[in-house]
Amino acid sequence: MNSSAPSSRHDARPVLTLSHVSKSFGSLLVLDDVSFRVHRGETICLLGPSGSGKSTLLRCINWLERPDSGEIQLGGVRIGITTGGLVMTDRDLSRVRTRIGMVFQHFALWPHMTVLQNVMEAPVQVQKRPRAAVRDEAEALLAKVGLSDKQDVFPAKLSGGQKQRVGIARALAMRPELLLFDEPTSALDPELVGEVLAVMRELALDGMTMVVVTHEMAFAREAASRIVFLDRGRVVETATPNAFFTAPASDRARQFLLRYAGNDGRRVAGLEAGSPT
Amino acid sequence: MIRDFLVVWRERGLLIDGLENTIVLSLVATTAALSLGALLCPMLMSARASARLAAAAFVDAMRCIPFLLFAYIVYYGLPSLGINLDNWRAGLAALTLYNTAYMAEILRGAWAAQPREPIDAGYAFGFTGLRHFRRIVLPPLLLSAAPVVGNQVIQIIKDSAFLTVIALPELTHAASSIQSRHYIPFAAFITAVLLYWMLCLTVEACVASIGRLAEARR
Amino acid sequence: MSAADIVAILQGAVTTASLSCIAIVLGLPLGLLLAITRWARVPGLAQVVMVYVSVLRATPLVTLLLLLYFALPNIGMPIGAVSAAILALVMNTSAFNCEVWRAGLMDFPKDQYEAAQAVGMRSLPRLRRIVLPQVFRVSLPGLVNEMSLLIKVTPVLAVVGVVDVTRAAVRIGAETYEPLPPFLVALAIYMPIVYAIVALQRLMERRLARAQAAE
Repeated sequence: MNSSAPSSRHDARPVLTLSHVSKSFGSLLVLDDVSFRVHRGETICLLGPSGSGKSTLLRCINWLERPDSGEIQLGGVRIGITTGGLVMTDRDLSRVRTRIGMVFQHFALWPHMTVLQNVMEAPVQVQKRPRAAVRDEAEALLAKVGLSDKQDVFPAKLSGGQKQRVGIARALAMRPELLLFDEPTSALDPELVGEVLAVMRELALDGMTMVVVTHEMAFAREAASRIVFLDRGRVVETATPNAFFTAPASDRARQFLLRYAGNDGRRVAGLEAGSPT
Repeated sequence: MIRDFLVVWRERGLLIDGLENTIVLSLVATTAALSLGALLCPMLMSARASARLAAAAFVDAMRCIPFLLFAYIVYYGLPSLGINLDNWRAGLAALTLYNTAYMAEILRGAWAAQPREPIDAGYAFGFTGLRHFRRIVLPPLLLSAAPVVGNQVIQIIKDSAFLTVIALPELTHAASSIQSRHYIPFAAFITAVLLYWMLCLTVEACVASIGRLAEARR
Repeated sequence: MSAADIVAILQGAVTTASLSCIAIVLGLPLGLLLAITRWARVPGLAQVVMVYVSVLRATPLVTLLLLLYFALPNIGMPIGAVSAAILALVMNTSAFNCEVWRAGLMDFPKDQYEAAQAVGMRSLPRLRRIVLPQVFRVSLPGLVNEMSLLIKVTPVLAVVGVVDVTRAAVRIGAETYEPLPPFLVALAIYMPIVYAIVALQRLMERRLARAQAAE
């Protein structure tokens, strides 16, 4: 069952629109005519096998990678290319990027700054907000992710899960309209995955607009408003989590759930022996 | 022997002047070489083949030339091409130019060793241009490059001694003139050796303290 | 610049080459000896070696050379220019080699050494047959690097009158009032040799990296 319409409890105005986005690396076509919309408050999970272009797609949204063709709009404003068709200036690009928060697979914390400095750095330096107010907000965010006691510690002394929670707080400090997550738990030891997913789940419940690239099927099933399934650069299927995991419309999705989701996926997809189909 | 060292003590003014000149030469050359090296470094990594090959050729050339020969060429050879430099300017130019190549290579190595993600994160959070370089790229780069740069500084201090052959009044030259005037070669040169050793230990101590800063953040 | 001038420079090259080779051949084992002394923590000697290496690595070669050439005769050990040159080069290169060897020794996995101890091998054969071959392989790039540095530092021998490539070039330039051509000939001699050694070092580094990755 394909569903590109937002579920009723979400705002109808799209925060993010991708139209016919394509990208090649040399002769390799990585993204092939990708289009979808994200509405305010939605949590979109991008799923797909490795090499399907999920991360590249995410990085195109804030123009860390440049699409070869197609359009990306944030709240109606085109990213990367001005209305006149020219490449955006660094300053305009910077302004758009501050409206989008990003959480990275390997945390990407700045090693020469403490946790608190990491969270405060961009709001003060790029958004030019007053330091005292930013500090209060940063401390509140760190409290929210459970890391108040680590404010003045350098990132090297934290566990992976702690680093990622700082990464999330750092992204939130920008007061973004949209949060991008690039495989946020893939680099974590299994026992640390839960603490990060818990923070993400809470953000989703609070109404944050999120696009998440992940392999955590249980999280996708629980927290996503919609699943966008990518295979070899194409959007093969979009569906609600329930629909996707219990009755995937496409063969590719079915194969994916069986092969790549492993036990987790089989259980989630209700394909374990003895469970109702 | 003690008498010899007393003579050295009497002539300490000359030695101190020589030490000062060594320090000035080394500091100026280091700063200039680091700055020019930082400008050359992007060329070394440039996507444009012409820039990259030219920069690489320069670095390889400096790596294969003995410094003393290079200093001679700058001092004795350039006048044939119409460029006349006194021994100070020639010495400083040779020391700077030679080490620019080494500093560029050091910075390139340090840059290649930097993880990409935090740099990407800087762009993703809206940092651009000079601010991005100053706040996101440069501090970890300097912290990681400090030990190798420190070694190069020690090399610069030792290379400065070569400039005694073009009559630059640095430390070795001072020790030479004291020994030739008073026939106290052992005392004069041992003192010079000890002074070089102290300079080296000072540089190593600075590198060690930067290293402690880096450790806390690693 | 005449043919005789070029021959003079080439003669200087022979001097440079032979003095370098002697210094390398003597400096390598001496450096190893110093490194082992520190690694094995020989009481008393290890500290002496540490200070010796630290001072020598901090001392410019020209200063060391002048010290040996002028000071040794003064305290009763007459020494000629060539001997002083060789002594200075050997002292200098052995100190740097010591650090390269020491890094290789410290890299050596302790359990292999202990395994040899456990099967009853005595110290010297243990060292020779287990430790040294591997340490040599690991240290090779650094040692080759040190050889290239040694060659680059040989022009300094001219300050005590040894006629090497550089001094020959300077002399000819002073006589003919055309300093540039002999310098260019000197460059043409040094650069290929140093380049070849650096290329060799890079090759060894790559081989070593591959071998270590495969382990």
